Amino acid sequence: MPDMLSSDTLSLLFAVLVFPGGLFALCVGLVLKGLDRRLAARLQRRVGPPLLQPLFDLVKLARKRTLVPDIACKPVFLAAPMVGCVSMALAAALIPIPGVYDPDPLLGDLLVVLYLLAVPAVALMIAGSASGSSYGAIGFSREMALMLAYEGPLLMVLVTVAIKTGLAQGGVVTFSLSEIVRYQQEHGAYLADPWMWPAFLAFLAFFPANLGIAPFDIPEAESEVLEGPLLEYSGPPLGLFKVMSALKAVVVLSLGIALFFPTAPAGAPGLLVHLLKLGVLSLAGVTVLRTAIGRMRIDQAVLFYLKWPEALAIAGLAAVLTLA
Amino acid sequence: MSFIARISQRSPWLYRINAGSCNGCDVELATTACIPRYDVERLGCQYCGSPKHADIVLITGPLTLRVKDKVLRLYEEIPDPKVTVAVGICPISGGVFRNSYAVAGAIDRYLPVDVNVPGCPPRPQAIIEGIAKAIDVWRERL
Repeated sequence: MPDMLSSDTLSLLFAVLVFPGGLFALCVGLVLKGLDRRLAARLQRRVGPPLLQPLFDLVKLARKRTLVPDIACKPVFLAAPMVGCVSMALAAALIPIPGVYDPDPLLGDLLVVLYLLAVPAVALMIAGSASGSSYGAIGFSREMALMLAYEGPLLMVLVTVAIKTGLAQGGVVTFSLSEIVRYQQEHGAYLADPWMWPAFLAFLAFFPANLGIAPFDIPEAESEVLEGPLLEYSGPPLGLFKVMSALKAVVVLSLGIALFFPTAPAGAPGLLVHLLKLGVLSLAGVTVLRTAIGRMRIDQAVLFYLKWPEALAIAGLAAVLTLA
Repeated sequence: MSFIARISQRSPWLYRINAGSCNGCDVELATTACIPRYDVERLGCQYCGSPKHADIVLITGPLTLRVKDKVLRLYEEIPDPKVTVAVGICPISGGVFRNSYAVAGAIDRYLPVDVNVPGCPPRPQAIIEGIAKAIDVWRERL
């Protein structure tokens, strides 16, 4: 191809690697994680680590030795964290920052985001089974069970928002995130509409499991399965998994913002508002929850997801379909 | 020291090995000294569930014959650079178990110990001081 490095390709690469994917999302993710650890410490009446502690951890991991178990499948063992990181950097470039960044339709839409969101969980599962450790295998089966339980509500929430936007625009369904954000910028956020609350609650219930935080950090529970799939990892590959989870937090929280309350001014204030929303959603939805509740058992968690978020998501979908 | 080295020394992760302890020191480690009340997280420490993530190893208990090989194997699995802290009097001398037929003897005969924190059990403040000293040792090895 003659125009391999045209300005379009360059801007796509920039979006994936620097802003809003890659570097930018990583910085935001690490700061969110630092805020989370600090607030959790304050809620437990402790001082807590410095704000940049997740960054210090990453730098330290980059300098440690990489150990690969004898019985591990080495190429898969080392490739799994990279696959996870790349998928999340790509997903971060797919999600609009209202008023600031509009993803190129070439990159993909909501359906691509849905598939990319499943990749880190699959990477963890593959990592667990490639490590050859029995704890990794337990982590694998737990991650799989949990994923089957939470993907249903997620899919329904995404479809609910897509149908609501599509119908309002005179079509049937819109999977373009830019369209969804633009419609809400013009007609007000979906969060202001009580009929969308069930879907929003289902989304709130979905993200602790996807991000692997208490009470749903069952696959990586360090006190029972010794961090499961991550057990055999050390040094840089473990650091890549930390990068993956930081990026994933930004992707999932930004997706929530884009779907339910994207209204924001254009330009630099829009970016500030976006960061503020990310912080509030992360502190209220993640930190308070994880300090307040202990870990569930895997069977309780699966049942919980099959009951409540599923019911809420169905109610949300039904509300949108009947009111149309 | 380079900037990178200065940053990375702020993240020492802890790993606990129970070498046949009566659980007294473990209770001090897990519930009073380290996380909830006296908070070593402000030094950047964090408990990890896997020996492969660890930088500082906290060993409690007199090394009993039954766990000796397992402890040595676990110790081998911790990637370098690592620092060993013996918590409580047991890993130093055997403590109240010193003449037992089931105890392999002082732990520094088998592993290089960098910091001793004596006590039965040691006070939480002493454990935190021991960890702070271990961080200094670790800094030089990094």
